[in-house]
Amino acid sequence: MPSFAQLLVAVVQVLVLVAAAPLVSGFMRVLRAKMHTRHGPGPLQDYRDLFKLMKRQDLRPPASGFVFKIMPIVMPAALMVVAMGTPILTRATPIPAIGDLITTIYLFALARFFFALSGIDSGSSFAGVGASRELTLGVLVEPVMLLSLFVAALLAGSTNLGEIGAAVADGRMHSAAATLLAGCAFAFACYVELGKLPYDMAEAEQELQEGPLTEYSGPSLALIKWSMSLKQLLVVAWFIGVFLPFGNAADTSLPALALAFVVFVVKVVAIFFAVGIVENSVARARFRLTPRHSWLGVGVASLAFVFYLAGL
Amino acid sequence: MNPFALLLTSLAISVVGAFASLLAARHEATAIRLAGLAGGLAGAAGLAAGLAALTGPVAVLDVVGPMPFARFVLRLDPLSGLMVAVISGLALVASLYSLAYVREYAGRGVGPMGFFMNLFIASMILVVVADNAFWFLVFFEMMSLASYFLVIFDQDDEAVSAGFLYFLVAHAGSVAIMAAFYLMADAAGSFDFAAFRAHPLQGTAASVAFLLGLVGFGAKAGMIPLHIWLPRAHPAAPSHASALMSGVMIKIGVFGIVKVAIDLLGGGVVWWGLLVLALGAISSVLGVVYALAEHDIKKLLAYHSVENVGIILLGVGTGMIGLASGQPLVAVLGLMAGLYHLVNHAVFKGLLFLGAGSVIYRMHTKDMEEMGGLAKTMPWTSLSFLVGALAISAIPPLNGFVSEWYTYQALFAAAFDGTFLVRFSTPIAATLLALTGALAVMCFVKAYGVIFSGAPRSHHAAEAREVPATMVAAMLLLAAACVALGLAAPLVAPVLGSVAAATLHLPAVTFADGAILLPGDAGRAVLSTPLIALLLLGLAALPMLLAAVFAVGRRIPRTTAAPWACGYLPDGHMTVSAGSFAQPIRMFFAPLYAIRRSADGAAADLGHGFDGFVCRARRSESLFDRSLVAPVEDAVARFGRRSQIIQGGDFRIYCLYIVAALVALLLVTLR
Repeated sequence: MPSFAQLLVAVVQVLVLVAAAPLVSGFMRVLRAKMHTRHGPGPLQDYRDLFKLMKRQDLRPPASGFVFKIMPIVMPAALMVVAMGTPILTRATPIPAIGDLITTIYLFALARFFFALSGIDSGSSFAGVGASRELTLGVLVEPVMLLSLFVAALLAGSTNLGEIGAAVADGRMHSAAATLLAGCAFAFACYVELGKLPYDMAEAEQELQEGPLTEYSGPSLALIKWSMSLKQLLVVAWFIGVFLPFGNAADTSLPALALAFVVFVVKVVAIFFAVGIVENSVARARFRLTPRHSWLGVGVASLAFVFYLAGL
Repeated sequence: MNPFALLLTSLAISVVGAFASLLAARHEATAIRLAGLAGGLAGAAGLAAGLAALTGPVAVLDVVGPMPFARFVLRLDPLSGLMVAVISGLALVASLYSLAYVREYAGRGVGPMGFFMNLFIASMILVVVADNAFWFLVFFEMMSLASYFLVIFDQDDEAVSAGFLYFLVAHAGSVAIMAAFYLMADAAGSFDFAAFRAHPLQGTAASVAFLLGLVGFGAKAGMIPLHIWLPRAHPAAPSHASALMSGVMIKIGVFGIVKVAIDLLGGGVVWWGLLVLALGAISSVLGVVYALAEHDIKKLLAYHSVENVGIILLGVGTGMIGLASGQPLVAVLGLMAGLYHLVNHAVFKGLLFLGAGSVIYRMHTKDMEEMGGLAKTMPWTSLSFLVGALAISAIPPLNGFVSEWYTYQALFAAAFDGTFLVRFSTPIAATLLALTGALAVMCFVKAYGVIFSGAPRSHHAAEAREVPATMVAAMLLLAAACVALGLAAPLVAPVLGSVAAATLHLPAVTFADGAILLPGDAGRAVLSTPLIALLLLGLAALPMLLAAVFAVGRRIPRTTAAPWACGYLPDGHMTVSAGSFAQPIRMFFAPLYAIRRSADGAAADLGHGFDGFVCRARRSESLFDRSLVAPVEDAVARFGRRSQIIQGGDFRIYCLYIVAALVALLLVTLR
């Protein structure tokens, strides 16, 4: 069982991520506006949007059932559990019992399950097709995620995310090439999970992407939008915790944590900046051609595995 | 109480129930009640016997049987105790369910159905406790035959043809098993399994016996490529029988593989385990890929059985690799993961088949495209089906996740140190397991979504009602078991670990510490399902609170008229269907479906074989007619026609006959 300090770190992590999630999507909008050379809304616009939505009335289609009602609760809850188990400020996972790579992948699947199911439950055809696409992307990405993390876990000797991160930070991974390739494959999988161009266009509800949201409105929509931003931040934090853990606190002392927080913010901003550049300079890939890209991910992850086997 | 006393009580109740149901066949309501009651009582007694044997010492019952060459020996060890408990537990629930469900079959012979159900349950229990090759095969055949009659119960073309395919594959499997046992008996000089254990085969002979056993039991387990019968036979049977067939009968195939490879042959060599691992990986991926393309609810579930047998075999294969390569931790961890998934699959697949049965009970169709919106009219069925769907998709903190987590950990432990081939294949198996998991999520979102969510797609779906209370109770029991086996994993895992260790004759491994699960070594990984459940519930309060704060003094949620459809008037045909939902996967995995088309060709050939068989049988039937019956008939007719000549119809000729007869008689008496 985790100590009190670890539990406190876990709770603080969740609160910080939840509070900062709309800021991240706001930052992305500012970046896009800059790249389009136009004046966009400020970085706080997403908070204003969410606040406005929270005050609106909830509208539900007649066909919708209880899955449609509970999804806006289940999805953020599942993501917050993941946030508790991910090593964000400390090197070790705050709560090891939920910080396993397999547990994390399957907790994301819990959120995905209800997210997609609510699309079918709304009875809208767009939401249904969006649900199908959401799950298909999961099918293409999850094996890449698992294989790359599995290789890293084999190098570190543990499937615990914090242990892998600690091994990377200490340079205990005895195959640098395999670690690097596994990191690249995992970064690719994370990028697809972010729901950004060229694989997805998270702002275009009228099209099929973000489809399961078609019928949501008011507070439910606010909660889901919030959780989708949280998911983007969480996926990046997950990548940082495993493959870029440099600067994370080795213990739970306050100065170390404060430093780790600053380092984390810098890393997140840098990654989202890079993501923004990519996102705004590519066209959308045709959905049916996505497997060609995901095969690339599988290829890189397999290469990492081969490097691990060869002991390079 | 002595587990054997309980076990024999259970068997006696089953047999009595079987015949009572047959005798009461005229009075159908009584037959249903008798069969259900007997199944339930036998299940309860069997469950108690199995649970007692789980931790107890090995018990052997040796009776002089009617056959002088084969002693009637029953043996209850932890592994067979586990199997008895799983079989009996599911039989108990299926019997409860049958009380109302079988009324659907009134007027179509519910007496015989009860007879075959009870015999099926008893024979499965006897197979797993039999400790003599001869009796094992006798009970194995009994089990196959009883289930065969349940498969062809509907008597329509599809059921009869599926039954024939099942019959063929089951018996081809039996022949292979027989050959394997004969090889072992030849070396041991006896049909007793005890003698097999004392004199295990060595070298090539052992490998041949293992391969024969793998083919025979693999066919029963529905392992790809021997699965062709499964997606046709399981849907044809009544749903409570499908639940038992998919939930426990195919596990007897897995049990057989464990029995032959580990118990009787003592573990063998590393490539045995690698072969089982490879077959498991292929079965799991192809099973779920094919399931996704189905829109017949029971076929979809049957293909998922293929997938889950694959996952169980991943665990068992890893255990065999560990045993053969002298890694006790890997061996116990792998076998334990396999056994855990075996128990879990029995529970959630039983639940899903019973849920499908409830839906079919109201809808009278297996086609998911006709359903939709049933969550509103059948809330309890929908809730239990959702729990089953989450569990089979390995969503934490339910039971399916725990056993898959252990399977990953076993593969990880095997990949960590071992020969090159082992280190090469186990991470690939883990990746394929991840692919399987993602596909299973998609498949069950589709299954639940198309059946229970959205708007009803047919008149029947709009007018469906909740099923009777006993059926609801049976489903809720299994749903509760899914939750319990997940949340109470820290209590369950050590018990299954001790079963695995006892089967392998290896020292026990630590699988739990307080509320924490660990794969033998806390440094490698830890997991706590109770904690996940607690956090999920606790953190769900945050968004609820947020919504509640803003809801104060606001308008209540409103139901709008129709979903948005780009300005068109939405109608039922616009919503997502079972086919369209899985379309991207059908497109991306097209080569895998091509494999099935060619495999189906083989199945179709077998089907044609059946047609040819029927055709030849008909011809030989007419041959009998032509050569024996027809000549006699013709002769009689000819004789009749000839004798008509004497009946001219003229009364003078009849008078002449009378006079002639009188003269003749007078002549006889005078002489």
